[in-house]
Amino acid sequence: MDLTLNEKRLLVALESVGSADAATLANLMGTHREAVVQYANLASERGLVDVERHISRRYILTREGRAYAGKGLPERQVFESFENEIPMRDLQAHPLAKIAIGWMRKKGWVVIRDGVVQKTGSAVPGPDEAALARLGEGGAITDGEGVADLLRRGLVEEEETVTYTVSITPRGRELLARGLDLQEEVGTLTRDQILSGAWKDLPLRRYDVTKLPKRAYPGKTHPYQRLLDEMRRVLLDMGFTEIAGGIVQSSFWNFDALFQPQDHPAREMQDTFFLGERWPLPEGYERVRDMHEHGGETSSIGWGGTWSAAKAEQCVLRTHTTSLSIQHLVEHPEPPVKAFCIGRVYRREATDPTHLAEFEQLEGVVMDEEVDFRHLLGFLKEFYRKMGFEKIRFRPGYFPYTEPSVEPEVYVDGLGWVELGGAGIFRQEVTAPFGIEHPVLAWGLGVSRVAMLRLGLRDLRHLYRSDVEWVRQMPVYGGRR
Amino acid sequence: MAIITLPYRYLERLTGTDRQTIIECIPMIGADIERIEEDHMDVEFFPDRPDLYSAEGVARAMRGFLGIEEGLPVYTVSHPGIAFSVDPGLASIRPCLGSAVIRNVNLDEEAVESLMGLQEALHWAIGRGRGKVAIGVHDLDAVTPPFHYIASPRHRSFVPLDFDREMTLDEILTDHPKGRDYAHLVEGFPRFPLIVDADDQVLSFPPIINSELTRITTATKNILLDCTGTDKKAVMMAVNIICTALAEAGATIEMVTVEGEEMPTLAPAERVVSVEECASLLGLPLSPADMARLLARMRFGAEPDGDSRVRVLVPCYRADILHDWDIFEDVAIAYGIENFDAALPAISTIAEEHPTMVIARAARSVMVGLGYLEMIPFTLTNERVIYEKMQRDPLPGTLRVLHPISEEQTVVRTDLLALLLEMLQANKHRELPQRLFAIGDVVEDCITYQKVAAVSIHPAADFSEAYAVADVFCRELSLSYTVAESADPAFIDGRRGDIIVDGKIVGVFGEIHPTVLNAFDLEHPVAAFALDLRAVPGYPVPPGTPSPGGR
Repeated sequence: MDLTLNEKRLLVALESVGSADAATLANLMGTHREAVVQYANLASERGLVDVERHISRRYILTREGRAYAGKGLPERQVFESFENEIPMRDLQAHPLAKIAIGWMRKKGWVVIRDGVVQKTGSAVPGPDEAALARLGEGGAITDGEGVADLLRRGLVEEEETVTYTVSITPRGRELLARGLDLQEEVGTLTRDQILSGAWKDLPLRRYDVTKLPKRAYPGKTHPYQRLLDEMRRVLLDMGFTEIAGGIVQSSFWNFDALFQPQDHPAREMQDTFFLGERWPLPEGYERVRDMHEHGGETSSIGWGGTWSAAKAEQCVLRTHTTSLSIQHLVEHPEPPVKAFCIGRVYRREATDPTHLAEFEQLEGVVMDEEVDFRHLLGFLKEFYRKMGFEKIRFRPGYFPYTEPSVEPEVYVDGLGWVELGGAGIFRQEVTAPFGIEHPVLAWGLGVSRVAMLRLGLRDLRHLYRSDVEWVRQMPVYGGRR
Repeated sequence: MAIITLPYRYLERLTGTDRQTIIECIPMIGADIERIEEDHMDVEFFPDRPDLYSAEGVARAMRGFLGIEEGLPVYTVSHPGIAFSVDPGLASIRPCLGSAVIRNVNLDEEAVESLMGLQEALHWAIGRGRGKVAIGVHDLDAVTPPFHYIASPRHRSFVPLDFDREMTLDEILTDHPKGRDYAHLVEGFPRFPLIVDADDQVLSFPPIINSELTRITTATKNILLDCTGTDKKAVMMAVNIICTALAEAGATIEMVTVEGEEMPTLAPAERVVSVEECASLLGLPLSPADMARLLARMRFGAEPDGDSRVRVLVPCYRADILHDWDIFEDVAIAYGIENFDAALPAISTIAEEHPTMVIARAARSVMVGLGYLEMIPFTLTNERVIYEKMQRDPLPGTLRVLHPISEEQTVVRTDLLALLLEMLQANKHRELPQRLFAIGDVVEDCITYQKVAAVSIHPAADFSEAYAVADVFCRELSLSYTVAESADPAFIDGRRGDIIVDGKIVGVFGEIHPTVLNAFDLEHPVAAFALDLRAVPGYPVPPGTPSPGGR
């Protein structure tokens, strides 16, 4: 049996007394009560001692109670402050009158007639007064008649004390009789002990592996960042180049270049964060203007009407990362181009658990000579498969700058088919003004939707205003795959 | 988006098919089912297909898709008997008028509601909230042709819908609920648009309200339609959609002569499209006959034109056909999106991480190694948080949004430190020490770039801790830097340092000022540091960020 040194010392302390309360033992051992209880519990698991836990209740005076101790309850003090009778008005001048009058009447000591308080003749001290008197003498009582009344009046309060009695068992005595090695156990090994070889003779303290350690918290990336990084990794693995850019975009790049008509509802101040700043239009903007007005040199008829350059110059907080994709394509018109972007986008929406004014969007574009609609579906399938969504299907969709358009849906256990993003081939009205001659496959995805599915979130705001505890608890590796 | 209520019984009668087929078919022609109820479903159709905003329109598309009735729907239009004049004074107010007479309508309560629903959805989708197009339907038999679309003095009066007394046009704008909703559309005009009949009775005050006189009821037999607006094409599209929907329900359409023009013709537009272009866009082997067959299912008139082209007649109600590719999408839908073979093309590309992300990744690994937890704060904040509470002067390049949605979100952040202090405040009840960091975009003078910031809160947090973290961060990111005493009022004087690279202050560290701690309701010292990541060697000039000042 491997006793700790402290258990052994406890047995030694018990040798002469046999049984004692923890406080006494603490004195004997030169330690504190809580430590004794801990050693005793260990020893009791081995059957060497018995530990008895007693709970005792006693009552002590509250602040108000202390004020009356010695002087008597308010009703007694007031009762004794006048002779046989007194006008109510006069009695009310007594500082305790407010409390006392009710009690005097309740106890039948007085009656009130025509505004005069008259003694009834009987005012025998009750058990409550007796209890108060006892409290006044001893400071505390365990129980007795009258205590309940004082408790109700808030004059006393209950105090609970737990004491432990430790007794040595025959088995403990047996062990003691055999003699105990009381040499100090070693916790942390010192450099000297290791180098000198002294460790060979030292009793090394044994630790209890069933006791959990103090919890440590490592530094960590945010769970959402880990998800974003996983998506970046998937796209980098698929050969996509990463793009990034400004939060502030001109309406030209955010809307006009993407053939969003100038009177489109998304371009109203209710839906988009407009800024006071303006950006000059890029060279060749006239081709975009012509596209809007009459379809330029394509088979399009355009939106008609008159295109306003002033409207296109107005800056916005980007409403999608497509404004970056189109600029990347304009800067890299030679095929093949495969690019992606994960960035924050802005919508003028009131914040609630499922709507935010800012959130991340993922977007991928592929431009090459021979790509077609089937390849768009192929890239989507591959991306979602790598993200862990095995089942995917497509439905017709609508997005202002793609044609054809599809809405991918993935199957999620427990939820069924969930719409996850949008995709399509850039309209010629988008690509032609910039001389982009080959089809551009594009798809986008609200990353926060995936975050909700993967991180089990109900409130999107937790991604951006996070509970430290949640970040501490979320495992770095989720065990998926 | 427009959500359309489709009663099954009516739809079953119009399509000649059963409820289950309808429910399965709807998503495949392009729509989201919002709700399936006992006797109807609510469906959200895409904004480019206003022709699907009525049960009649949906039935027309569905009959084609299911092969019940294919090809171009033909609508006969009878010759005009009624004339409409347009006042030249409207040219600068609301110039365009489209009109038609719809006879022999058979309206029950449901049909009246459906017509009103279509009208409202079109106001939203084509009419842009009635500004571009506003639609009025009238009981033709309550008034006397010919009709006149006039620019009227504002003091004229009539009894508007839902009221029982005459009101002047100005009164309507202030006292009628619709008047208040749409007054902004006629604001500033000296005269107001008005439609009157031969006896000078008012039919409508477009785009605000109709007259009670011409209210549509279940007793209405003949309808006069007016669409007014600022864009002729959009106005006529609204006319076409309403006329063809009512024609689908059995009514007959009669032309109206508007200033000599007979309308509507309800005639299709013709496009000759390339089969090869469609086949290569979709990745399908297609013959002209295949393509024509598929398009017929989508209710186009389509026939092969030689061996490489298809002649397509686009129904007059299709607002979405701007370009040949819009027709190709319908080929894909008719073919069935689920029938495409998804495939990956053989393209060889080599991926590249964005340089700012490479730096951010390195920065993250250092901070995580130091035991810091990452946070991803919002980028929208307010000046109270990032300047006032921090005791800092507002940066001149701070970007303010014009119409904030709340007082909390009025500017784009220029720094991350205040947002981390906010995060500590929100996590006050959590165990200390807390060490948090953030890396992310900030915007100054319209330029987006990245910063890093870190905070450490616990009873022993001090200047030395902040200095040590700032120092190791800079060393790990290969920044050669010097330090000078800082004047940043967010920190305690004598316990703050500026990080200087190439003679420029690029960061700061130290102990947060107690006034700032109080402002964020924090109870322990905070050691903090913040750095502009542009100082890191290899940081790129942000691409795609044109700047007014040049950079």
